[in-house]
Amino acid sequence: MMTRDEAERLDSELMTQPNEPISAETRIKEFEEQALPYTRLLFGAALTKTKNYADAEDLVQETFAKAFRAWNQFQKGTNLRAWLMKILENTYINMYNKKLKERGSGSLDDLEEFQIGAAESLTARPQRSAEVEALNQMASKDVREALQNLSEEFRMVVYYAVVEGLSYAEIADVMDTPVGTVMSRLHRGKKALFDALKDFAASEGYDTTPTKEKKASARAAKAGNE
Amino acid sequence: MAEEINCEETKRQVHEYLHNELSEQEIVDITAHVANCESCESDYNFEHAFNNVIKQSCDEAPPAELAQRIIDRIRLIDSGRADH
Repeated sequence: MMTRDEAERLDSELMTQPNEPISAETRIKEFEEQALPYTRLLFGAALTKTKNYADAEDLVQETFAKAFRAWNQFQKGTNLRAWLMKILENTYINMYNKKLKERGSGSLDDLEEFQIGAAESLTARPQRSAEVEALNQMASKDVREALQNLSEEFRMVVYYAVVEGLSYAEIADVMDTPVGTVMSRLHRGKKALFDALKDFAASEGYDTTPTKEKKASARAAKAGNE
Repeated sequence: MAEEINCEETKRQVHEYLHNELSEQEIVDITAHVANCESCESDYNFEHAFNNVIKQSCDEAPPAELAQRIIDRIRLIDSGRADH
């Protein structure tokens, strides 16, 4: 894998050499081989964004149409996944006539809350292994639903970082926000998601009692019967 | 030279560690700390497991016709500009 320095150097080399004109056939072949394998990921992102299948399909199609028109602007050697996601974000804004939110104005608040959040997460969590057990018992559709209930900026950062593995810098570029905001949204988004899942687990009666306590209470119950 | 880091710092960096946002030295320091600290280890295991659960929940196959529709669409775009 190449380091970021190498990638940047490659980028600047590529930028000084304009892409040579390629035949229509080569362009289609290249695009089908390189970009289309991301259909599943793009569909996942589109579904996370639009929350419904019909809109997600439209969004993916439009994204690929735009990406294909812009294919000669893609800098080879840079992250194609991130490039496609950025087009998806822009396409979504255009398709749904979403007003661009004020950029960056919330970042100070974000940072402050992020620091508070960090301090909070340092409190001891003695039941972590029980929490892992509970998480693994959760149905994917319930996790998915909880994710969909997060506000858009939080669920998209969680999606881009966790599911797509984009770097913070790439997410910042895709979502047009500062890197600090990406960090803060990832930390807070995951925390909010887990809190929602915990509430859901409690209401559905999932057992989140640590195994040790279960054994102890079983023993106590048995002792009570005798 | 590896530097001792404490639990507070280690726990705070969990996402940056899992998402590969740290320097090599930071990774070495944290890996060493986590290996010897039960509390931090369980935090890291938790976030790692949580990431996997989120990933699984988002892995949804697109409808089968979508791929073909995309291909038809880009071929149509391409035929529209065959003149250049």
